[in-house]
Amino acid sequence: MSHGHSDPLHHPEVQMASKRNYLTGFIVASLLMFAATILVSGHVLPPFALLLAIIGCAGLAIIAQVYFLLHIDISEHNIWNTVALVMFIPLFVITIGLTWWMFSQLYLRTMPMIPGMPGMH
Amino acid sequence: MLVNVPGPWSPFLGRLALSEIPYTNPILAPLFVVVVLSGIALVAGITYYGKWGYLWKEWFTTVDHKKLGIMYIILGLVMLFRGFIDGLMMRTQQLLGDGPGDNGIKVMGAIHGYLTPFHFGQIYSAHGLIMILLAATPLLVGIMNIVVPLQIGARDMAYPYLNALGLWITTAAVVLIMASLFVGDFSHNGWFGYAPIFELSYSPGVGVDYWIWTLELVALGTTLGSINFLATVVKMRAPGMTWSRLPVFTWSAVSANIIALTSFPCLQVALALVGADRYLGTHFFTAGFGGNLMLYTNLFWLWGHPEVYFVILPAFGMLSEIIPAFSEKPIFGYTAMVLATFAIAGVSWIVWLHHFFTMGMGPYVSTEFSIATMLVGIPTGVKVFNWAFTMYKGRITMSAAMLWAIGALFLLLIGGLTGMMLSIPAINYMVHNSVFVVAHFHMMLLCIVYAVFGAVIFWFPKIFGFRLSEIWGKIMFWLFTTGTALVFFPMFMLGFMGETRRLDWPFNPQWAGWFAVQEVGIAVYCLSVLAFLWMLYASIRDRAQNRVHSCDAWNTSRSLEWLTDTPVPFYNFAMVPNINARDEVAWRREHGFAETQPNHFKAIHMPNNTGVALYIGAMTFLVGFGLTWRIWWLTAAALIIAVLLMIYRSNKGDSGYVISAETMAELDRASKTAMIASSKQPVHQGGGFSGGTVHAYSPLSSSARNGTPPTDSRQL
Amino acid sequence: MHAHDKVVDPKQVVLWSDDYEGHDVISTRTFGFWMYVLSDGMLFATIFAAYGVLSYSHSYYTGPTPAQFVAPWYTFIQTMALFLSVLAYGFAMTALKQGNKTGVINAIIASMVLGVIFLGLDIHDVLRMISMGVIPEVSGGLSAFYALTQVHAAHIFVGLLWMLVMLYQILRQGFSEDVVGRLLSLRMFWQFQAVMWVFIYVFVYLWGYLS
Repeated sequence: MSHGHSDPLHHPEVQMASKRNYLTGFIVASLLMFAATILVSGHVLPPFALLLAIIGCAGLAIIAQVYFLLHIDISEHNIWNTVALVMFIPLFVITIGLTWWMFSQLYLRTMPMIPGMPGMH
Repeated sequence: MLVNVPGPWSPFLGRLALSEIPYTNPILAPLFVVVVLSGIALVAGITYYGKWGYLWKEWFTTVDHKKLGIMYIILGLVMLFRGFIDGLMMRTQQLLGDGPGDNGIKVMGAIHGYLTPFHFGQIYSAHGLIMILLAATPLLVGIMNIVVPLQIGARDMAYPYLNALGLWITTAAVVLIMASLFVGDFSHNGWFGYAPIFELSYSPGVGVDYWIWTLELVALGTTLGSINFLATVVKMRAPGMTWSRLPVFTWSAVSANIIALTSFPCLQVALALVGADRYLGTHFFTAGFGGNLMLYTNLFWLWGHPEVYFVILPAFGMLSEIIPAFSEKPIFGYTAMVLATFAIAGVSWIVWLHHFFTMGMGPYVSTEFSIATMLVGIPTGVKVFNWAFTMYKGRITMSAAMLWAIGALFLLLIGGLTGMMLSIPAINYMVHNSVFVVAHFHMMLLCIVYAVFGAVIFWFPKIFGFRLSEIWGKIMFWLFTTGTALVFFPMFMLGFMGETRRLDWPFNPQWAGWFAVQEVGIAVYCLSVLAFLWMLYASIRDRAQNRVHSCDAWNTSRSLEWLTDTPVPFYNFAMVPNINARDEVAWRREHGFAETQPNHFKAIHMPNNTGVALYIGAMTFLVGFGLTWRIWWLTAAALIIAVLLMIYRSNKGDSGYVISAETMAELDRASKTAMIASSKQPVHQGGGFSGGTVHAYSPLSSSARNGTPPTDSRQL
Repeated sequence: MHAHDKVVDPKQVVLWSDDYEGHDVISTRTFGFWMYVLSDGMLFATIFAAYGVLSYSHSYYTGPTPAQFVAPWYTFIQTMALFLSVLAYGFAMTALKQGNKTGVINAIIASMVLGVIFLGLDIHDVLRMISMGVIPEVSGGLSAFYALTQVHAAHIFVGLLWMLVMLYQILRQGFSEDVVGRLLSLRMFWQFQAVMWVFIYVFVYLWGYLS
């Protein structure tokens, strides 16, 4: 449990803060969210294309934030954080994806679209 | 927003009233008297011997991973006993209630057997929840807590305070579920709960609320623990302890805690949404209003299946330590073993639907989950073969620990093969919800219990300095195995005969013979419990003979925990070792370095004890109790106090204390001397206690020991 | 594996780690906290899975769907408040790099103010929806909608409380090892809330508005 008594401000994780990165991350994410909002509120595309477009915006904004803000890269001090994230991402996908697949198949069989059924928009 | 509860409610006591105490119940009322009397006796005894200060200083406020581990194990053993009693009651009910017509014992209003359906429902729900989350999990976490830091050459866990917090929150969960025995009811919906029966309209009592908050607390405690384990292994390995030299048990702890870290949030969400339905009137799992009751089952098993592997993987790790030590060979196929561990952990995430194949989501989904489930058999098979090849041509010692390990292998084989049968949807449709499934997963969970008993016997001398009685360990093993065979092999048969699970009234008279066999099995299990207690008593009585005088208690051990003194001093390693090989202790023994000791020392830094973790644990209990009984002021007050305690602790911080190099040299010398010199103590023949006091570990006496910093250490 | 095949020179072998300085306290703390953050991500993922199942048209029963009550531009202002708050916290980190105490404190206060604006806008939005009869008791779909958005709001509340505690600790203790470690953990927590908000904004608000 012993540790050096050097100044904690010289720790590499403090020193990796970067005004330029934080600004870049902010600008990129804000512009993408702005674009997504314009697309959606104006209904400028057909529904499926619109869906793909906003998914793209979200994906890029998240990559920008994770890279520029959260310092997820393969440098020596961040590699373990990156490894942990890479381990988690498939689990996020599995949790949401398989659940969604399972229930879409279930609904196909149990929720027939009967005209006049309450709540069917 | 808040839902109006049926029945009386007062702002001060919530739903709590005297009528909620089951003082007329002929089982619970005497039990309550026994519990109160033994509680009074315990308190009186501790006061009489003046041990409160010792308990507080050395145990309740400790942040030492070994002591926390011991407390986890004690907690787990107590709950294992409670769960066993539940099992005994269920077996007896089915034996007495079997057959057509009214055969009930009317004392408690039962029409069949001696328990009412509502009471029986509470018992099987509590049995499942307790065995998985409050017995197996604390036992495994406790053993990991003790062994993992020692195996990687660390002085403690990464966050000692968080470790204590995890223990006390788990204890709060235990106290909460025990409170449900005497105050109100427990859930009667099974340990995993059925939607929508647990909705307020169908279960208006407090039982389901007890169930929700017990699960939430234990989930919180386990998540905190898993973060701690992972950070410890990633960041605190001794120099030279590369990933390819990590002991297999530590590897399995890593994979198990990855599972815990990733899956417990799913449980927390599932239960929180049930809570929202019951407290706020939302419609997540209702049968109407756009809710989806199968969503609950999905979210629960999203956690539930990874959790199953969270408990089995550390057990596999224990087998991987015990078998090589008593075969005098290194583990066969180290790399394959580690890869298999992670393969199991990975696949554990894509199989959860096999718990509800009958939901009706069609063939495509079933096929995927069926194939994924079958895939689990491959890495598990690799492991079984690796253990077998480790024993092949080894110099096998049939010690008690080895017997338990081999027993675990047989149970794994039976449980695994029946699991393969269940992975086929066509078969699953036939035996779904039958006791065949129950027998299958009891084989798997008993595999864990066997591994845990083996591990307790294996690592006991490292912590306490003397071995457990070999002969009583073996007697217990054979009694326990007989019990297992008599209870669970008939259960497979009953499953084939069409008995569904959770029957308070098994109506078919043809089952009676098997129920009788099971009851005999339970009686043998009772004997094995007595054998366990006698093993503890006899081992403590004869500890002078069983004392260990060297670092390596078995003389054939391999990994790093056997390098330091026996019993382990509070600082773990006087000097952090430099690791030269996989199986460092075996390597040093084979190269003649076994006796080499460090000749100079360095100052070390240790954390201080703290009572804050215990206080926060107590507050989480009050939060759970307040929510269960809807005593809002209590919930709010306990929550605010818990947050304030956290902020207080955060502001105060703990810089720990430093033990100087000279003191370390002295401590190390004293520890070594005590370890070797204890062999000269007179061996007392006949009855009575002899062999000096029982130390948890650390042979040093008085203030230089354990929780209290040595007198000349420097506070930071 | 059988290392005893090789001859080991007893004079060369190193058995004890003389130069080992112990683990790096700050990076151990931040790594553990990052794992907590990821498990928090799993918490959100599970609620998203529930939302996915409960956002079919029949999930809203006969009640309103998000298309009827979501106001994209209002929520976009919320988005900007949160992004700016995260940016301000980033500036606290660059000030910390230079050991500039005033800079850190000012940036954290700015971040808090923006966080409070985000939370205020959220509460105002909830009140508006309640006045329209859009409450979680109406349908499973609305229950899931509220669960996702308000669990995120609860995280923001905890983050604000934490910032307050950090301001006190900076003033009391300066930049000690503990305080610096906590500031780094809080950075990850706060930035992660922005990441989660992107998911919630796009997949709950915007997608809901589309459907």
